[in-house]
Formats: sequence, structure tokens, C-alpha cells
Amino acid sequence: MSHLETTAGTAATADTSGTGNAAAITIRGLSKTFRDTRAGGTTGGEVRALDAVSLDIAAGAFVAIVGASGCGKTTLLRAIAGLETAHEGTVALDGEPVRAPGPDRGVVFQDHRLLPWLSVADNTALGLSALPAAERDERVRRALALVGLTDFAGAWPAQLSGGMAQRAAIARALAARPRALLLDEPLGALDAITRLRMQTELERIWRVEKITMVMVTHDVEEALLLGDTVVVMTPRPGRIKREHRIQLARPRDRESPVFQDLRRTLLVELELETPPPAVAGDYAI
Amino acid sequence: MKPPVIYGAAPFLVPAVLLAVWFLLTAGTKPAVNPLFLPPPATVLAGFGELWRDDLAGDFAASAITVLRGYICGVLVGLTTGAACGLSRLTERVLTPTLNTFRQVPGLAWLPLMILWFGAGTGGKTVLIGLAVFFPVFLNTLQGIRGVPAEYIEVGRVFGFGKLELLLRVVAPAALPGVFVGLRYGAGIAWAVLVVAEMLGARRGLGFLLMRSQELMHTHHLFALIFIIGGVGFSIDFGLRRLERHLLRWKRGFEG
Ligand SMILES: Nc1ncnc2c1ncn2[C@@H]1O[C@H](COP(=O)(O)OP(=O)(O)O)[C@@H](O)[C@H]1O
Ligand SMILES: [Mg+2]
Repeated sequence: MSHLETTAGTAATADTSGTGNAAAITIRGLSKTFRDTRAGGTTGGEVRALDAVSLDIAAGAFVAIVGASGCGKTTLLRAIAGLETAHEGTVALDGEPVRAPGPDRGVVFQDHRLLPWLSVADNTALGLSALPAAERDERVRRALALVGLTDFAGAWPAQLSGGMAQRAAIARALAARPRALLLDEPLGALDAITRLRMQTELERIWRVEKITMVMVTHDVEEALLLGDTVVVMTPRPGRIKREHRIQLARPRDRESPVFQDLRRTLLVELELETPPPAVAGDYAI
Repeated sequence: MKPPVIYGAAPFLVPAVLLAVWFLLTAGTKPAVNPLFLPPPATVLAGFGELWRDDLAGDFAASAITVLRGYICGVLVGLTTGAACGLSRLTERVLTPTLNTFRQVPGLAWLPLMILWFGAGTGGKTVLIGLAVFFPVFLNTLQGIRGVPAEYIEVGRVFGFGKLELLLRVVAPAALPGVFVGLRYGAGIAWAVLVVAEMLGARRGLGFLLMRSQELMHTHHLFALIFIIGGVGFSIDFGLRRLERHLLRWKRGFEG
């Protein structure tokens, strides 16, 4: 909590700069083909993971990406992170082409990727080696408090549940204070209740830190709850089907008819639900 | 989930039975087995005393220093060569065909050559032990490094680690479990090679005492020495296992 208050203070003084410290991300004509190295080669040997993907992410925006598994969401995030560099097209951060990973971008991987030989606290401090010890400890403390893992600072990753490990991974990324946070299905491993709490937390972190957030999720509701923009992707080849600007006021009400309507629209686009009959006012009961 | 008493006593069951059988076979004025082949426990115990008065400590120290020196040399060269090959495919390609050929030669086959080159003193044995230790350490370090998940390397890169930082903070700890397999295996080999090498040519050390006891028909000394050699080997492995358990305590299952 104190993390939020302090950063809120700093952010308030810098509020005149509008988006504060956030980074804008520009993606142009991004294509990526994986050669299928597996034996047999039944897929014809090539997978078009991304096909001519272009996307503008404003500084400080919250972009949620939804799509069936295998439609290139992870590949897209990895390209922004600078981990996937052999591709066509460009990814730029504030106009600077991305060539490698950097401290300006934090990544929460789909698998938590905590280093098993480091305690939760040491994992959280992974990106903080340049800081003086006292400041480092303070940042770790706050990041762990934020995700509710204060009591597990000294635990080994092997001792955590899947959901706790994922929260630790979020703390680790946040502690380094990136200008853009890239999250790959960060709440997928969480139980329903923790998930709801973490969704609220993520929104607060985003509001307070004023950083850009790009979150991949398979949960349409989650995308609608958090995203300014919801990007719908389709597989084979991996393409952006549509971008929805979500104008609903925050915090968003899942039960509201507009929310439910948007949810249905997205599910139809994802081909998870057949289109409802177009009856006007069917939710105005 | 407290283990039953039998679980705590289990490791001592076999030694107790063996000791009882030993007592039975050697008891009385007309024992079942000729004392020349199997002296009674009390005689072997006295043998410890005789050996001790005959400067057992000096021989023990000679063996210990030789094995330690050889082990450290083998480990250092094995670690650096293994790391170099693990980190660079080119280095691996340059070195492994040759090393794999030499690896086929049993460690002790080098002994005559070592004695010829370095004499029957500790120099030759140090090199011999170093050679024997080198291969398991080399191979396990190489494989340990190759087995480091690319996912962990990416985590390091995401946090802006340079080459050296990746090596020290990600690759080294991730490869440590594999490296430890080599360290433990090498320690066992080192002790065995030392004792045999001392038997085949030495003026001091536990292996030398074994040969001398055989020539003097001091069977109770042979038994005492075998206990010492076994005990030392066991202690080395025990110590390394404790160290491993501490360093790799982050692995699940160690407590189980
Ligand atoms: N390293 C890789 N090698 C080969 N194919 C890959 C690799 N990474 C991803 N792919 C393929 O690219 C497609 C998109 O993968 P990914 O970006 O992980 O999808 P998503 O995250 O949306 O599930 C999939 O068909 C996947 O099999
Ligand atoms: Mg994925």
C-alpha cells in the first residue's frame, strides 16, 4: 500500500507531463514465421505466428490482447520485449527501434520463471543490483506487499503455489519500475478469488504508476475490465482481427448491460459463441 | 508423520549382523575360521593401536595431502574446461574428440607412465588423480551448462544482465546441480585411485601400508586399514553430500 502512496506522490508532481514515465509502443508490419523443427513436419514445416501486425500503443495505455491459443500473442509480446528479434517489420519504443531487452520494459512471462535458487525476495531484487542496498530492500518490501507476499519473502519458489509464484513474478517486474509492463496471461494460474483481487491491484498499479501495460489474456471479461483497448487476434496466421476502444468508466461494472454486451461481441469475434438475435433493448429489463 | 524407530535403526542393521557373524566365526580357542584369514575383532582393534604407534598419522597425512592436491587440480581443470566447452560450441568441437579418446583409458593405466615421468613419489600420483577426477567433473560441468533452461537466460536478459552477470548469476547456479554430480563422483574416484596407486608404487601412505601388511602376513592390520580406507571414503562422500544439500537446498525433495 505504501508503495502506491509514495509513487502517487512522485507522480502527482510529474503530473503536468501527462503520461509521466510511460513508453509508447509502435508496431508496424510485424511478421514472424517459425520453422517447425519437430520431426515429421506434418504442418508443412512453417508456422506463421504473426502476419503483418500493426498496432499503436499510446504512452500510459492499458492494452489487453485476447485470442485463441496459438494466435501469436506470446510472440507479439516477446517481440516488444526484444526477446524475438528475427522478424519482419518493426517494433519501436518512443520511436526507438527495439533491438534487445531493456530495463524500460518489464516482462511477466506466462510461466512465472522465478529463478529456483533465489528466495522470493532475491528474485524480486533481480533487476535492482544497481541500487544501494537500503533502497533495494525497500523496493522489494513494497513490491511484495503489493502482491500480498510479504510473509513469503524468504521462501523458495518451489514452496509457492502456482498463483503465488505468478504474483511474485509480477512483483519482480514491478520492482524494477519499467516504463512499459508486458504481461503474458499473468493471472491464468490464480484461483478465482485471488484473480479478482489481482485484477483490481493491476488496475491500481497502472493508475498510480502511470506506465504502459500490455496484457495478454484468454479471459474476455478480464480484458474488458482492464483494457482501454482490447485487441482481438485470430490464429493461422496470427493477425489482429479488431481493436476495440473501451470507453466505460473505471472501475468497471461486470454486471452492467453494456459490459455484458461488449463481452458477447468479443466472444462472437473469437467464435466462442453464436451471434445473439438482434433484439433491441433485450437487456433493458 | 514421525518415522518409526525401525527407520532410524535401519542403517545399523547390516553392520550389526556382520559384526555378530564376525564374532561368532572367530570366537573361542578353536575358532571356525583360521585367524590368519579372519582375525577376531579384538585383534583388529589392537591392530589399530599398533599401526598408530607405527606412525599411522604420518601415512594418513601423506595419502590425504596427495589426494587433496590431485582432486583440487582435477576439479579446477575440469571445471574450467567444462565451462569453456559448455559456453562455446567451437571450443567443445576442438576439445571433445581428443578428450573422449583419452577418456577411454582407465585412470590407473596411466600409472606406469606417471611413475616413469614423475617418479614413485607424490608428483605422479597427483597427476594421476587429477586425470581421473578431471573427466567426471569436465563432463558433468559441460552437461550442467548445456542443461541450463533458455527461459532463465531470458529472465537475465530482461533484467539487463551482461555476459558476465548472466554467467555468474544465472548459468552458474543453474548448472550447479550437474556440477555437483561430477564433484561427488570425482571424489570417490580420487580416493580409490590413490589407494591403488600407492599399492602399486609408494614409500608412504595407506596403500603402501596395505602392501606391507600383506607381505608381513599382518592380516589384522589389513582389516584395520580397510576400515580406515572405507571410513575415509564414506566421510568424504558424506561431507560432500551435506555441502550439496546445503547449496542446493532450494530444490524440492531434499527434506523428503
Ligand atoms: N519457438 C517456436 N518454435 C516453433 N514454433 C513456435 C515457437 N514459438 C511459437 N511457435 C508457434 O507460433 C504460433 C504462435 O505461438 P504463440 O505466440 O505462443 O501463441 P499464443 O501465445 O497466442 O498461444 C503457435 O502455432 C506456436 O506453435
Ligand atoms: Mg502464449
